[in-house]
Amino acid sequence: MFELPTSSIGGEELFVLPFGDIVNYFTPYTGALFLFALIFTLICIFSKPEKQLDVAFGTDAIYAKDVTGKDLHFRRFMAIACGVATMGAVTSGDVFNFTLFVSMVGICIIGIVASVKNKHVLNAAFNYGIISMLATVPLFGGAAITLAATGTLSIWELSAIAPAMPGIAKALILVGVMGEGIAPFYAAKAELFRAPGAPYVIMIHVSSLLMFLRVVEIMLTV
Amino acid sequence: MADIDNLIAIYAVIVIAIAAIALISIIAVPIGYEETQLYPKNINTSSALNPYDRGGEPFGKTDVIAQYPQNSPYLGYVTAYLTPLSALMAASNLYLGTTIVSHPGGIIDEILYNTRGLDTIVETSILFTAFAIASFLFRREDE
Repeated sequence: MFELPTSSIGGEELFVLPFGDIVNYFTPYTGALFLFALIFTLICIFSKPEKQLDVAFGTDAIYAKDVTGKDLHFRRFMAIACGVATMGAVTSGDVFNFTLFVSMVGICIIGIVASVKNKHVLNAAFNYGIISMLATVPLFGGAAITLAATGTLSIWELSAIAPAMPGIAKALILVGVMGEGIAPFYAAKAELFRAPGAPYVIMIHVSSLLMFLRVVEIMLTV
Repeated sequence: MADIDNLIAIYAVIVIAIAAIALISIIAVPIGYEETQLYPKNINTSSALNPYDRGGEPFGKTDVIAQYPQNSPYLGYVTAYLTPLSALMAASNLYLGTTIVSHPGGIIDEILYNTRGLDTIVETSILFTAFAIASFLFRREDE
């Protein structure tokens, strides 16, 4: 066995943001995730969306799919909301608060593609919407089991009494995040990515990626 | 798995499998209920504020447990206040606890609005996001 110098891989605590019993925290790990979400949200705010070009074969013609008007406003709004929810989730210091932010990310992801008038994209969004709706059951169920079995929801308290959270609760929260973050369901994700408007659509990917990085940290800590 | 239309079925199978494993493991090794709950709840069916009744005197201090009391300096002052309308409703029937969102300044619950206030904010944000999507899709037909 190696004698590793520190036991806390997530890093030392840098900054704490208390909201009553919910104490959000920034370690080098969650701080990096937060910064990543923040930078990407800023890109969504200030960048213009991409213009997707389709070449009509055999001719010189090109179809340009532009995101304009109300469509643009709504998708930008949803992408920003998704970014804010991601920032909340990656810094949350409370199991139930984390699950709430995760389900908000799930709804925002549907919102980002909701205004696209493409049958395939909408079909994928519909299927994904049902999955994310279903995923709230294991997600909140895991948090409820945690509260019943340990009497607290704070990640700080749970990590102090280390293997406190029952394995069942961990499994349920993990499967819930899988549903909200469309992780192994690459088919739905690929279809959602058909929608034009790059920075907003990529937000789907960024938020679910950060969700996973965070849930792994929580599962290892508590 | 490459077909989108199968995704719901696949995910449902995963959830059912996890739930079945959870049930079996709970039966095999029962999880104990922690007696020292941070957010205890007593159901008093004769109270009009049920299930939000945390007792206490109006404008007085009530003892409420919190994880980090230093973060909630006004802990215990919130719980017993009702607006005049809510007080009237509480006096006249037993169902005020079910109308928590349907009238302004109704029941002010210490845990919902003070110690775990961020949860309440995020919950309503989820609702508003859903409303924003629904209203956008509904109004889009006018274009």
